[in-house]
Amino acid sequence: MLTDKRLEMKELQQILKKEFIHIFRDKITLFLVLAIPIVLVLLFGFTISTDINHAKIAILDLSNDSQSNELIEKIEASGYFEIVSTPKSETEIDNDFKNKNIKLALIIPPNFEKILAKEKFITIQIISDVSDLNVASILNNYIKAILHDFTLDYNVGSPMKVPIEISTRMMYNPEANSVYMFVPGIITLIMIIVTALLSSITLSREAETGTMRMLLIAPVKKIYVVIGKVIPYMILSFISTIAIIIISVVVFKMPIEGSFWLLLLLCIIFMLTSASFGMMISSLVKTQLDAMMITMMGLFLPTALLSGFLFPIDNMPYFFQLLANIFPAKWFIIAIKDVMIKGSGIVDIWLYLVILLGMAALLITFSLSRIDKRR
Amino acid sequence: MKIPFISHTTEIKDSPYSIEVKQLTKVYGKFAAVDHLTFNVKKGEIFGFLGANGAGKTTAIRMLCSLLQPTSGEATIAGFDLRKNAKSIKKNIGYMSQRFSLYDDLTIYENMQLFGTVYGIPHKELKNRIFESLKTLNLEDKYKTLVYSIPLGWKQKLSFATAMLHRPQIVFLDEPTSGVDPIVRREFWNLIYEAASKGVTIFVTTHYMDEAEYCERVSIMSNGQLKLIGTPTELKETMQVDSIEKVFVKFVDR
Repeated sequence: MLTDKRLEMKELQQILKKEFIHIFRDKITLFLVLAIPIVLVLLFGFTISTDINHAKIAILDLSNDSQSNELIEKIEASGYFEIVSTPKSETEIDNDFKNKNIKLALIIPPNFEKILAKEKFITIQIISDVSDLNVASILNNYIKAILHDFTLDYNVGSPMKVPIEISTRMMYNPEANSVYMFVPGIITLIMIIVTALLSSITLSREAETGTMRMLLIAPVKKIYVVIGKVIPYMILSFISTIAIIIISVVVFKMPIEGSFWLLLLLCIIFMLTSASFGMMISSLVKTQLDAMMITMMGLFLPTALLSGFLFPIDNMPYFFQLLANIFPAKWFIIAIKDVMIKGSGIVDIWLYLVILLGMAALLITFSLSRIDKRR
Repeated sequence: MKIPFISHTTEIKDSPYSIEVKQLTKVYGKFAAVDHLTFNVKKGEIFGFLGANGAGKTTAIRMLCSLLQPTSGEATIAGFDLRKNAKSIKKNIGYMSQRFSLYDDLTIYENMQLFGTVYGIPHKELKNRIFESLKTLNLEDKYKTLVYSIPLGWKQKLSFATAMLHRPQIVFLDEPTSGVDPIVRREFWNLIYEAASKGVTIFVTTHYMDEAEYCERVSIMSNGQLKLIGTPTELKETMQVDSIEKVFVKFVDR
């Protein structure tokens, strides 16, 4: 029996070795697999950011007194805005939107200082370019916060207090940093590309060329044939994941509040689930091309859209909320955010781990039962 | 170390046949791809398995190689029951398919090493066998060549050599010579004769009727059933024609 086990391990080793030879002889794929994640995370990190700095704005100051100047200085000092124009009339503001590409304009009414001293209310008009809804609402929030601050400062020491003071505490992501959002998302997408896509392609390639049949005719266990093919891609995607985590921590100052080892365990389990999705797809199709199309359209796209990475799941129609449950990415993203940002422990996320493992077990069983039924 | 496929030979029943098939049937839905197949193949025999495309040959071979469970019927392959001893059967048969089935991006040696290992041949022994068989093919100095870059004829001979590495009792050849030139086909058949002379049973399908003449016995399958079986001479006499090709055509036309 012992000899048998040792022999089986040798067989598995040989299949693994063969798969690694495939990978290392295909330099382009290897390079893409290792380089793309790093490029992606840097690209997302530096470009697709929802934090806005130095937004161009215009301020029409109809008062030009000490208080209005103070307000303008405060806006400038915030770092969020860059005052590119000081128009003299409302018509000029219109032109600034078209010609100077300003995102927002502020109109300070005449006699600002006097009204401020005497009256309870003063109206400051904000004009926003809402062609980009996200940018507009973020900028509006910023400017409102500055105005709120300004009134607070103004009222210090005066008998007229603002009755309710709102104090917001942003839990877990105090700077509302969008890196926190996209790093888990990118890790998810990369793992799906590398493990699910590559393992579905490599498995269907063997079926297509006929080599799979040669291996299945040999007295080696089916499970070894399959895991021998999948493990190398899991290792590759693990390397990529580690690289993404290192970059996001070092370059983008993403925290890892929870245990690093729990994070790794979580990633390994998700990789297994993705790989078994790839196996399942390859067991359903006949060609590499089909495998690729189905993985992209049936797994990658829904993952990007439904996992909560791009759009919040709670805002989706009920049907899509239900649908999101069958994609492993949803559970993984919840769990990885909990671990990295909230510092959750295994007690908090065990359910997600069980769901992911359950999915993997189900998919692997299904694929193994199908593997030799395919012609 | 014990070599498993040798240890199993002691269990083999004393029978003159290496393949015994009784009423073997495979049904897909209502369609019987293989319909009550019954025949025997003697040890060391070269057995030609003919039939038009879609006659059920491939399904039958897949069952005999225990890749596919039969719906009903029995078969004994290399002395082992098809339903009970799939693993022992796998160790004692070799298989080579019409589609070239080695890895293009692996070298000749790497391919043979992979398949030798999955058949449980110990490392040192395997190395000896690989160089031994490459020597007979005159490919020994090419062992580091990527399979991708060698001609189809060589690839087919190499596939055959790989299928023989674990010294199977029976080798299944599914259209082994399709697409290769007549000279290579001749060379390939020399390899087949050589293997048969050492007692290996050869189970071969082909669409080349001249090759059918080389077989000791031939069977013709149609619509999932075995319609004719016998030596080439017997078949020609029964059908009153002068070649197997005419037997085949006459039979398929009927």
